[in-house]
Amino acid sequence: MTPAVVEILKLAGSVAAILFLAWFARKLGLGGDVRIRSEEQARAIADEIICGFDPVDIAIDKAGIGALMRDAQGRHLLVRRHGAHFAGRLLDNHSETRLDQNFLTVGTGERTFGRVTLNLGKEAQYWASGLRHLRT
Amino acid sequence: MTEKLFSPVDYAVPFFILLVILEMLWVRRNAPEKYEPRDTLTSLALGTGSTVAGALFGGTMFAIAMWGYGFRITTIPWTWWAWIACFVLDDFFYYVFHRSAHRVRWFWAAHVNHHSSQHYNLSTALRQTWTGFFAFTFLFRLPLVFIGFHPAMILFVGAINLIYQFWIHTEAIYKFPRWFEFIMNTPSHHRVHHATNPRYLDRNYAGVFIIWDRMLGTFTEEVEGEKIRYGIVKQLGTFNLLWSVFHEWVGIARDIWSAPWKHKLSYAWRPPGWSHDNSRDTSDTIRQRWLDRQTQQPAE
Repeated sequence: MTPAVVEILKLAGSVAAILFLAWFARKLGLGGDVRIRSEEQARAIADEIICGFDPVDIAIDKAGIGALMRDAQGRHLLVRRHGAHFAGRLLDNHSETRLDQNFLTVGTGERTFGRVTLNLGKEAQYWASGLRHLRT
Repeated sequence: MTEKLFSPVDYAVPFFILLVILEMLWVRRNAPEKYEPRDTLTSLALGTGSTVAGALFGGTMFAIAMWGYGFRITTIPWTWWAWIACFVLDDFFYYVFHRSAHRVRWFWAAHVNHHSSQHYNLSTALRQTWTGFFAFTFLFRLPLVFIGFHPAMILFVGAINLIYQFWIHTEAIYKFPRWFEFIMNTPSHHRVHHATNPRYLDRNYAGVFIIWDRMLGTFTEEVEGEKIRYGIVKQLGTFNLLWSVFHEWVGIARDIWSAPWKHKLSYAWRPPGWSHDNSRDTSDTIRQRWLDRQTQQPAE
């Protein structure tokens, strides 16, 4: 076999192996159904995302899949699930906001981060208003 | 002589796969959230892609090394002590490369995908770069060539170094006996390296021997009981493979495009997170803010 054929075979073997391992991880049920269950947990997540972010106002999605938080400086932090962890972004006045009764959809302007729809109940309108008045 | 050298990584791959399977089985019993199938798929695809990049650019890098070998100050023979010396020195230059890869954004852009998983398991070890060639990372091994080690020998010991670093990407092992932890890079030391906890940022750059960090002031011990958070300061929030590979390069391009002229190059060579208007955080500013808070808050 020529070296090129050997390399192609090795590549094919690697692709087969990674597909098998990803399938195996799914088959074993690995991962996690993480949820935000309390304000205390939300605070800890906020501090993990932005060191020193100390929320004075917190709204957690009814299913716990995400949250909106505001600190004393008026900064708004959007948190959402990412696999078995959480990821977040500070929002600015370019952030997209759409209110539909109890559901608030927030877009960060970052395509790969995506939009997040949170069920905030009656608080949705209050947070939508806050986001629309962000200065920076 | 050089033509007979084999690639150790090729022989190690089946063991990598076997160990990942064993770790998955261990994780299922103990903490299923330590693996995430989509994250695993991204990590492994990054690993496969890096071997393709290696095949594409490896020849050029080896040719540059052979060119440099023509300017060597002496010729190191192919004897047993030369292999040991080459391995130890290569590990030192790996430390230098790795430290630079965290402190210079241009190098970080190639290295970041190794860190962008929020998980820390054996599949994370395989998150290797596709763009190392463009970050000129191979230049860090040139001093060995100029000293007089043959490029094939350097390539071989570099592969052994890479294989060593595979097994330390795990939470399945806590700590080894003190003498081992003192000399060698271990899962505990490398967990610190992958952590985003402020106290751990930009620490423990070692490949095989942790002594380089101890000697050069970048060592931090893993603190028992403190939960480690993995990943990068601004978590990706996506499993998109191509974004994982190129996001920092895109960030550099955007920043250079929009920055005032006198600051443009700084966005390539200064530390990740640097900005001319101080609107962003570097690992140093994050650590300092954390330290300030520690001194302000009474001990719990």
